Amino acid sequence: MDAPVIRLDAVTRRFGDFTAVSAAEATLSPGEIHAIVGENGAGKSTLLKLAAGVLAPSAGRVLVGDDALSPATPAEAIRRGVGMVHQHFMLVAAFTALENLMLGAEPVRSWGRLDLASAREKAQAIADRTGLQVPLDAVTETLSVGERQRLEILRVLYRGARAILLDEPTAVLSPLEADELYTTLRALADDGATIAVVTHRLDEVARFADRVTVMRRGKVVLARPYARAGAGEIRGGDLTRAIMGGEPPLPFARPAMAKDAAIVLEIKGLSLTDAGGQRRLRAVDLTVRQGEIVGIAGIEGNGQSELVRALAGLEPGATGRVAVGDRDLSRLSVRARRASLGVVLEDRHEEGLCQEATVGDNLVLGDLGDRRDGAPAFDEAAAITRRMQRFDIHPADPARLAGELSGGNQQKIVIARALDRLPRGPRSAAVLAQPTRGVDVGAAAAIHAAIGEAAASGIAVVIISADLAELRKLAHRIVVMRRGEIVQSLSPEATETEIGRAMLGQEAA
Amino acid sequence: MSATPDEAPEPPVLRPLLPALLALFGIILLLNLISFAFGQAPLTTLRLALAGTWGTPYGIGQVLFKSTPLIFTALAFEIALRSGLFNIGAEGQVALGSLAGGVVGAHLPAGTPWPLAITICVLAAALTGAGVALIPAVMRARLGVHEIISTIMLNRIVEVLLPFLLVTVLGAAALRTVEVVPGAALLKLDAVFPALRGSAASVAFPLAVGLAFGVDALLRRTRRGREMRWIGINAAACRAEGIDVSRRLVQAMLLSGAIAGAAMVATVLGYKGYYELGLGAGAGFTGIAVALLGRGHPLGIVIAALLFGTLQQAGLAVNARVPKEAMDVLAAAVILLVAVANRAAAKPLTQVTPVVAPPAPASEEAAS
Repeated sequence: MDAPVIRLDAVTRRFGDFTAVSAAEATLSPGEIHAIVGENGAGKSTLLKLAAGVLAPSAGRVLVGDDALSPATPAEAIRRGVGMVHQHFMLVAAFTALENLMLGAEPVRSWGRLDLASAREKAQAIADRTGLQVPLDAVTETLSVGERQRLEILRVLYRGARAILLDEPTAVLSPLEADELYTTLRALADDGATIAVVTHRLDEVARFADRVTVMRRGKVVLARPYARAGAGEIRGGDLTRAIMGGEPPLPFARPAMAKDAAIVLEIKGLSLTDAGGQRRLRAVDLTVRQGEIVGIAGIEGNGQSELVRALAGLEPGATGRVAVGDRDLSRLSVRARRASLGVVLEDRHEEGLCQEATVGDNLVLGDLGDRRDGAPAFDEAAAITRRMQRFDIHPADPARLAGELSGGNQQKIVIARALDRLPRGPRSAAVLAQPTRGVDVGAAAAIHAAIGEAAASGIAVVIISADLAELRKLAHRIVVMRRGEIVQSLSPEATETEIGRAMLGQEAA
Repeated sequence: MSATPDEAPEPPVLRPLLPALLALFGIILLLNLISFAFGQAPLTTLRLALAGTWGTPYGIGQVLFKSTPLIFTALAFEIALRSGLFNIGAEGQVALGSLAGGVVGAHLPAGTPWPLAITICVLAAALTGAGVALIPAVMRARLGVHEIISTIMLNRIVEVLLPFLLVTVLGAAALRTVEVVPGAALLKLDAVFPALRGSAASVAFPLAVGLAFGVDALLRRTRRGREMRWIGINAAACRAEGIDVSRRLVQAMLLSGAIAGAAMVATVLGYKGYYELGLGAGAGFTGIAVALLGRGHPLGIVIAALLFGTLQQAGLAVNARVPKEAMDVLAAAVILLVAVANRAAAKPLTQVTPVVAPPAPASEEAAS
């Protein structure tokens, strides 16, 4: 079966009063990797979901091949050879990979018995052809993020899809895994498949896309072929300008830092063993000076999350010393720590925001009743106004529900809460995990500026990010974590390849 | 498919009232069907039910009386629910609280002035209700035992504990306590509004309404209440921001139990003057439905309680023609109808094609 051409013909999609996609035109063709980019809330995911039949258009037509996709359901789409890989994996954690693969399309023998053997045969054949290797008998929750992603793609292929639409597939992957993914996608495209990818990372577009569609406020503002490897007709600046609808933001200026600045954050021998007896942190030592930004790189799952949680005081089993200024935090509660250590955990949905509470409530979450020595009681209204203004949160309405804001503005809330509370100067530190994950270019620039400003005011900052470009741009120093240890310290001038090697544990040549 | 009509703008005022109107229409229809099955002419039962409830001052008084404990138990459920807890234990908390209040009220010195007597009785009941709730609260906060299971089990324990206590410790032959001292009896409403003469409504009803707004203010305006609500929305985020989640959960559960225990104000102090086995039974479970119908609004809870109170009183009014259990059927139908109507109202009415949801809710960034 040839891969279908998917054509969106003046497609509009509304959610109540809100128009997510407005009269959009796009053509996804076989043999190409088609990147869809834009800010948060620009309508990228909605466009993809319309193409995959997950959402029905409010007006306009989705054509698969020559005929309209009707009814607009995922089942019909997959029947016509169009499959979608969602941003959040849709896998049953307790099933084996093979069981997840065949879920909904189980081959059966007589009396309704599952035909695992033929499913395995078919899956293996696809895996061999495409190079999407997944341990089929492993329980899904034991798989790495990259393996789960491959499983999702394999599942779509297993169902017979020749057009594969992926929603932010690299958001959760390490740079190397992302490269691997694109290699696979390239092979599929060369084999004649139709590939569409929604992404935030413009470097991916530059390196891998054949064609790019830029969306802004629900409209397609740019749709062009895009020659790979930077020799394109559209330069990065043009792309950024199209996404932002104006000039790209000013480049980030790393704040200057005195060489002999005082040590503010001191971590010594921080160790953590989880409930299953696994050592998550192995005697982590790290010192951060006044006004310094230290970036922590590492492949996901090498102790970065545990480090942040242990610093925040959320891991009572952690041992070792954590001090900010001359204040020993190791035995203090979460609440006591946050007066001098601002923490942003990596998943703002799980552990950062109360989506159904107001923006105002979220901005002061945990601050109520805070009283510093001798200071007057916490002034909630003033804090909300100040935090909204300082971090430019849109819309500037504290009575809105936080869940109604775009991802970028939600992230600004979380960052504002962590940074604004800290006293300026050498007595505070901030630890920010994935500060701009899933955040659009404009909001990311605003968050980077806020981080720079915090460091300039003397706060010691630690940033953990899967985005190496971000670390190289912000940090004075990059340390690499592997298997719960800090294994190497690099300058931000190190190349991504060098950092990548350290992350994987390969000796530098 | 592409011809899906645009969503028509809804009249903004009618929309939120639609579920209530649909439910009302539904129960009137159902009442007629049931009474028809018992050989009644159309509308006669409805007329009878209305006459026995909102038709006379006495009927109104009885409705207020029946609604009062429901407001308490609904508020008890509401507080826990907003904190992310399901307190199914109001049944046991009401019963044990009522017993404690009744016993204390009976053992006060005969001449105790009423402000003191009532305060002591209510405190005893509330503290006992909170005490019953303390067990599941601690089990949940410290050990992670789910409160649905522990509160349901506690209801059963209280159920057998009550007759045991009455017979052995309290030595009551008739499975009831001794009458409370005169000072502990609540003022009947007919002393203020003579028209309500003979009905059992007491000042417990205005107290309950006041409490409904008090609870709302607590959840909206105080630090404690707001943190409880935030925990109900996302406990992990609250823990990460240094809010003492365990402590707040225990507090929410204790407050919930205390309010359930205090429902005895209506039953014991405002009506019987003593506690007897079975008094207030069912109020705990009905309160859950009232809280859910009230949709988190204090006035909503009061109105929902009045609706259920009306149905209970109407059951007595029509009992001669149609079994009063018909009203229980209606109460159940109300819950179903409102649930269905709410779901239906949440969707655009013009949606023709079936909505196919993705396998799991990818709710966040639905618009990105």
